[in-house]
Amino acid sequence: MQPQLKSKVRCLDREVGEVSRVIMDPLSHEVSHLVVSMNGAGERQVPMGAVQVVTDDLVQLRTSSSEVMGMQPFNREDYVTLHEVEIPGLEKHIHVTPGEVLVPFPELERNVKRRAFFANLTYVTGLFIGLPLVYPVMKFLMKPMYAPLDNGWLKVGNIGKIKTEDAGIQFQYKRKIKEVYMPEAEIEKNVWLVKATPAVLEKVYQGKNMEFLDSSGRAIWTNKKDMPYLAFSGKCPHLGCAYKWRKHKVLGQVFLCPCHLSIYDASGRVLDGPAPRPLDLLPIQVTAGGEVQIIDMEFKAGTKSQTRIV
Amino acid sequence: MSDIPTAGEQPTVAEKIFTFVDERVGLKLLAAKMLNESVPGGSRWAYVFGSILLFIFIMQAITGVLLMFYYVPTADHAYASTQYILHDVDYGWFLLSYHFWGSTAMVVCVFAHMSQVFLWGAYKKPRELIWLVGLALFALVMGFGFTGYLLPWDQRAYWATTVGVEIMDKMPVLGDFLARFLKGGPTPGQMTLSRFFVIHVMVLPAALIALAGLHLFLFRCAGPAGPFRGAPAELKAKTDYFFPRQIWKDVVGMAVVFACISAMAFWEPVVLLEEATPDPGDYHPEPEWYFLFIFQHLRLKMFSGELGQFLGSMGLPGLLGVMLVLLPFFDRNPERNIFKRPFALIGWVMLTASILLFTVSAIINRDFLD
Amino acid sequence: MSPTKLGFGILWPAFWTGLPFKLALAVLFMAFGIMHFENRIALAFVMLLASPVTVFAVPTVTLAVGSNIGEGSGIALLFLLAIPIDIWSLGIVGRTFFLERLQREPPGGLGLTLWWKCALVGAIYVPILWVAQGVITEAAISGAYSILEADVLRGIPVAEGISIKLTLWSTVATVALLVLLVIGFSLVGRMIRRTVQTAGHAPENYQGLIVRWDLMRVPLDQGWMLTALSGAAVVLSVLFWFSLPVFTPHPHDCCTKPEVMAEPPFKPIEILNKNEKMIARLAAQVELLVEQRAKSELEKEQSKGKGKEGTETVEAPNATKPAAPTAVNQ
Repeated sequence: MQPQLKSKVRCLDREVGEVSRVIMDPLSHEVSHLVVSMNGAGERQVPMGAVQVVTDDLVQLRTSSSEVMGMQPFNREDYVTLHEVEIPGLEKHIHVTPGEVLVPFPELERNVKRRAFFANLTYVTGLFIGLPLVYPVMKFLMKPMYAPLDNGWLKVGNIGKIKTEDAGIQFQYKRKIKEVYMPEAEIEKNVWLVKATPAVLEKVYQGKNMEFLDSSGRAIWTNKKDMPYLAFSGKCPHLGCAYKWRKHKVLGQVFLCPCHLSIYDASGRVLDGPAPRPLDLLPIQVTAGGEVQIIDMEFKAGTKSQTRIV
Repeated sequence: MSDIPTAGEQPTVAEKIFTFVDERVGLKLLAAKMLNESVPGGSRWAYVFGSILLFIFIMQAITGVLLMFYYVPTADHAYASTQYILHDVDYGWFLLSYHFWGSTAMVVCVFAHMSQVFLWGAYKKPRELIWLVGLALFALVMGFGFTGYLLPWDQRAYWATTVGVEIMDKMPVLGDFLARFLKGGPTPGQMTLSRFFVIHVMVLPAALIALAGLHLFLFRCAGPAGPFRGAPAELKAKTDYFFPRQIWKDVVGMAVVFACISAMAFWEPVVLLEEATPDPGDYHPEPEWYFLFIFQHLRLKMFSGELGQFLGSMGLPGLLGVMLVLLPFFDRNPERNIFKRPFALIGWVMLTASILLFTVSAIINRDFLD
Repeated sequence: MSPTKLGFGILWPAFWTGLPFKLALAVLFMAFGIMHFENRIALAFVMLLASPVTVFAVPTVTLAVGSNIGEGSGIALLFLLAIPIDIWSLGIVGRTFFLERLQREPPGGLGLTLWWKCALVGAIYVPILWVAQGVITEAAISGAYSILEADVLRGIPVAEGISIKLTLWSTVATVALLVLLVIGFSLVGRMIRRTVQTAGHAPENYQGLIVRWDLMRVPLDQGWMLTALSGAAVVLSVLFWFSLPVFTPHPHDCCTKPEVMAEPPFKPIEILNKNEKMIARLAAQVELLVEQRAKSELEKEQSKGKGKEGTETVEAPNATKPAAPTAVNQ
């Protein structure tokens, strides 16, 4: 046990005084020295090595009283109290005060069940504040995340512009966009139209009409497999860049995306590059007068499966 | 600290005020407890990075608030208001460039601080909690960089963010929800800018202040770890208090960092590209330099395909993060001397070297993008 | 103590001790625009950091080897001003090192002694290191490229190839640099060794030595030193306020400031004379107009009286209108 303050100090021959202070080592967190008040003859600093045994109220030294008199006198200025310095964790290792300093424990607080009840009641009351907020806040934050999709038909141009078969012709059009509260803006978009020969049509549709469904599964439109006009979304399915119709030195006339060099043929099939899926087809109608109409759709980039997002 | 006036002298006004407050607050003892923390082995220059990080954060907050006097976070005004700051507000270019380079300095110092703690073994018992909170702070700093980058709304900002959020989209299960949450919809637009702005100027600063406070509190509970070698007599001879010696070294470190960031602001003031458009055109999107090493991973063939992109961009870094979190729990050897911890030393060297190599590779790769 | 440990133990702290002062000057010079850096700013930083050894090597490297770290007269001025800073920092670091690590009495003028020894070694060795490192790095780069050009490795994709090449040559270059640096520190250590050997033994015990070098840093006259430093802060700040460009040095195309044209010289007497003459001319013309008006009125009345067939003489007032006055300010 650690020597207690105020306990008597006895040498081999006689009692010499009492423990007036205790000095601790800040690194090892152990008592390193005792300061013994020598019954009016000053204070001496006694290393713990000189202590033989410690009991509740007595410290027995293994030296004689004359040896203790010859030990280093205590110099208060070489030390600071624990109030004046921060040594982490030191308080946990001090047990030098004899007895305890106490304050009264209120009668009401002695009932443990009562304390527990009120504590838990606090949490439940908090539930009345917090829980109602959860759902509205979640919906608040999620408001714009799943906006309904626009399935309006947009005029993009006339098929008279298309002179060659199995070649990509870019139709640029403007679309009015109203993003939430922002002023209505007009953005430029483009689609690539291909007048396809039956061979290319076969590659694209593989004998089936292409159905476009909305989020609840109902059909919005069906592209008939024998309708020769194909409309490809102007955004590359890899990361959304605008691609072009170019002559490739090996593969001939192809759709080529400048961002990461994805290459597609006239049917939209991937020939080379990091594109995860073929070019996205859009619903297309051609009126009697040759006006081409499409539904502007955008699909998530970079995925193998086609997911509509706009 | 003895402020006892010698008998016979009248106390000055300052002393009277001090005594007034001290009687009610215990100011003297409080100040002593707060400032007189002993640093075993003495104050060291190696320990300054934590305080430097606090300094950089405060400077970012100050320059950030100043920028908010003129910046407007809407898609139709973000670019113009940023250009206004850069070209028409007196010294606006300097404050914005300081804010920009300050974020770089923050990432560099975070790396320095984490490395110092790792190499000194100051994550081991009893400091595991400080390490965990520190990792959370590191994530916050990365979040700051990512969200702030979008705000000027030029091509670079818009596309770096788009690519980054698309990558997050590749996460299984939660990816689509998270990406839509961050974008505020299916495609980036005004909603994205509003969300990134709120996160950057309110959510992240509040979280950072709270966690930084916790980090400091936990640090005081455990005390500074001190040097990893040295005889006890040596350590005792050099021990001094946090105040004023370590604080003085911290301030000198702050001054050096301040000078470096200012120099960077002169060397490369912020210049915006054209305003953001939905079509990248000829522009090749690229994230901030401290994400470049992950960005380069995505160009490797082994990480192609949807799952591959997720692994390369989030899987691997995520795994590294998990390893760092578990570090104090599977490294229980109390040895803190880095030269006696070969795995730790080699691991740190390899990680630092590979981050450097991939970052430089990404820069070299710019010339090969056709 | 080995020469390498000696050299490194003195140089490393001395570099960083002088850095804050050099950086303050560097920032000021950049604000004044007398110093510009491009891609080699990191190299410039290292050269500045190591100015005790690079101060005389930088001109050699710039002129003889032909590679520069930046542009502007500020660079030379900065290195010149770094000399007293380095002498001071080498002094304080040297004395600390002698006391704590060598337990010897630091001789007088240690800062200057260490400085000229470091500068001398640096003036000779740093250019050699520069050239050697350059040669080794170039060889490593071309070696790495040729390895990857080999048929076996032809098929490696671009990104992987870049990283492999980079790893190969940067490892070689880094190892070479470390070796050259160790040699450099060792040379400095050897130069310093004689100073060490002639120094006497310091009498204090360990704690005494620590106290001694610690208290060495506290000036005898604190008030003077602190006031001087504060004064320097004020002066540097005011210079900074004065020199900092108000608008960005790199404007975007959208918002370049218009060229400010010098105002033409203002000559009041000439202008007054010109105005007088013009007023006189205008007055004369007005008179003329009034006369003509009166005449035409008269003619009109007369022609009215003559009959209805008179062709109307359309007054062409423009014919007599005086020439539009030229702008006063030209």
